[in-house]
Amino acid sequence: MELKFLRKNIDKVKPHFEKGGKWERWYYVFEALETFAFTPNLTTRSNGVQIRDAVDLKRMMNTVIIAMIPCLLFGMYNVGYQHYLAMGQESAFWFDKFLFGLVKVLPVVVVSYAAGLGTEFVFATIRRHPINEGFLVTGMLIPLIMPPTIPLWQVALATVFAVIIGKEAFGGTGMNILNVALTARAFLYFAYPGEISGEVWTSLPKDQTEIVAGYSGATPLGIAAQANSESSQARRDVKDYLAKKNDDPSEKNDIIYEEALDISSNLNTKSLVTDRFDSHWGSSMYNAQTMFIGFIPGSIGETSTLMCLVGAFILVFTGVGSWKIIVSVFAGAYGTALLFNLIAANEFMLMPAHYHLVLGGLAFGAVYMATDPVTAAQTEVGKWWYGILIGVLTVIIRVLNPAYPEGIMLAILLMNVFAPLIDFYVVKANKKRRLSRATV
Amino acid sequence: MELFNLGIKSIFVENMIFAYFLGMCSFLAVSKKVSTAIGLGAAVIFVLTITVPLDWIIQEYVLKEGALAWMGPQFAETNLEFLSFILFIAVIASMVQLVEMIIEKISPALYGSLGIFLPLIAVNCAILGSSLFMVQRDYTFAEATVFGFSSGIGWLLAIVALAAIREKLKYSNVPDGLKGLGLTMLITGLMGLAFKSFIGLAV
Repeated sequence: MELKFLRKNIDKVKPHFEKGGKWERWYYVFEALETFAFTPNLTTRSNGVQIRDAVDLKRMMNTVIIAMIPCLLFGMYNVGYQHYLAMGQESAFWFDKFLFGLVKVLPVVVVSYAAGLGTEFVFATIRRHPINEGFLVTGMLIPLIMPPTIPLWQVALATVFAVIIGKEAFGGTGMNILNVALTARAFLYFAYPGEISGEVWTSLPKDQTEIVAGYSGATPLGIAAQANSESSQARRDVKDYLAKKNDDPSEKNDIIYEEALDISSNLNTKSLVTDRFDSHWGSSMYNAQTMFIGFIPGSIGETSTLMCLVGAFILVFTGVGSWKIIVSVFAGAYGTALLFNLIAANEFMLMPAHYHLVLGGLAFGAVYMATDPVTAAQTEVGKWWYGILIGVLTVIIRVLNPAYPEGIMLAILLMNVFAPLIDFYVVKANKKRRLSRATV
Repeated sequence: MELFNLGIKSIFVENMIFAYFLGMCSFLAVSKKVSTAIGLGAAVIFVLTITVPLDWIIQEYVLKEGALAWMGPQFAETNLEFLSFILFIAVIASMVQLVEMIIEKISPALYGSLGIFLPLIAVNCAILGSSLFMVQRDYTFAEATVFGFSSGIGWLLAIVALAAIREKLKYSNVPDGLKGLGLTMLITGLMGLAFKSFIGLAV
């Protein structure tokens, strides 16, 4: 009933937007809204493509959005959960937590959509091209990879930047080189590092006294990096001390020595990183299971590996996302982490390999970002290489690059840059193989 | 191991293009096709691998303060470093001449598609830049060789990646004002953003 009413009204105003109508200039804005509600009423002409499917780009994008809803809902709950945890009211009513998260997250989503769609509408009207559905997904991805405390104007700025520089400059949806949502995040990361790194992952109450003593909103990856740099410092201290003692036996600085020895005594037996996780004040807060479910500080939608897997199931089942990329990202990360376990040159390398899979944004990136069909490798063999390299690079950046605690964002962006090259060589190898098979 | 680390560092962390923005002109101009880009990249690797160690020898035994001591005690104080630019460039130019002759002989097609940019390697800032970095950072002979070779690899990697992207972009509906160099500059910026993942890498 309602749909018929909608249809009737759309048909009523439609002539105004068509050629010669008074609002002709806004045709593409109108068309975007119409096809969002109804499948375009196109039938096959006698020449040209003969097979059509109801699943057009908009329907595909909607599938991705549906796949993101578990992450979004969980993210809202987790924002509230972390907030109440910081105030020591862990047992607060679950709906209060969700409501708190909703109030925090919804504005970010609204701002991201408003800024992005506004930019899209302007470009579509000026350049006379149909409005690109791509932003429906990007607009949802951007809030999910922002910390809950992000200022709204920065969300808007990053979104506009990413849509114009990252996408419209290349000719719109389907033409971009870098993932648009990640471009937005990388832009913020380098332009306003204060708001997107450090301890911004929990929306704390304004009144500082309400915060539980000892609460730290650091992400597990932040804690790991911290433990890593402390232990390297400790090793250096022990070394310095021993060197000094060699030079001058009367030299005595037992406090530093004992502290340092304390940290470095259990080197190579148990990772200081897992030790820190285990001894964190909310003792069960950072065990592998909690991190898998996702009750940890982090960007709004990225914390829950479980919800990402639910999303992955939807994407793979409907054929929208490539399972090859998802599997190979995880495999690449796990393999590299195992290799680091063997090398064991620092504390971070000693962290059990499976932790890497549930920490931070690896799952979210693998499922929703790496599978982006526009920026990923297009060839089937290329997808394996693309995914594996993302996984490998992510762990390398996490463990070896103290400048960034999280690696998945830059790893995906870097592989976006190299995806066309991977495809080029896969296609070339394919040509060669088939030529050698051909007999004339 | 040290040398290996230096190699990794000069390919990724201190990439000539994305960390120093050296050698941009040919990077932007000869990146329309992957095959041409590989050709130019290979030529740059070749020139760099030869000129950096060669310049190292010149620096060490001719230019540096006291480097001429081997000619006799009266030269022990001589400092010819003011000649370094002109001598380095002379070495580079003659190497490029050599590469040009080799390519013309081996692959006339590549020679044709590289066009003016082949002799212009002589003024490619990445190449003179590498020699100057080599002096500044006090590399040993082995380090200088590895540094020259891997800087070239880094440059090749960058230009080939850009060329693959530009081949893909042939089908894009790019706004008129941005067609050609404009968009290429934007892509370079975005690639630089992605390459930031290596900056700060502990190797």
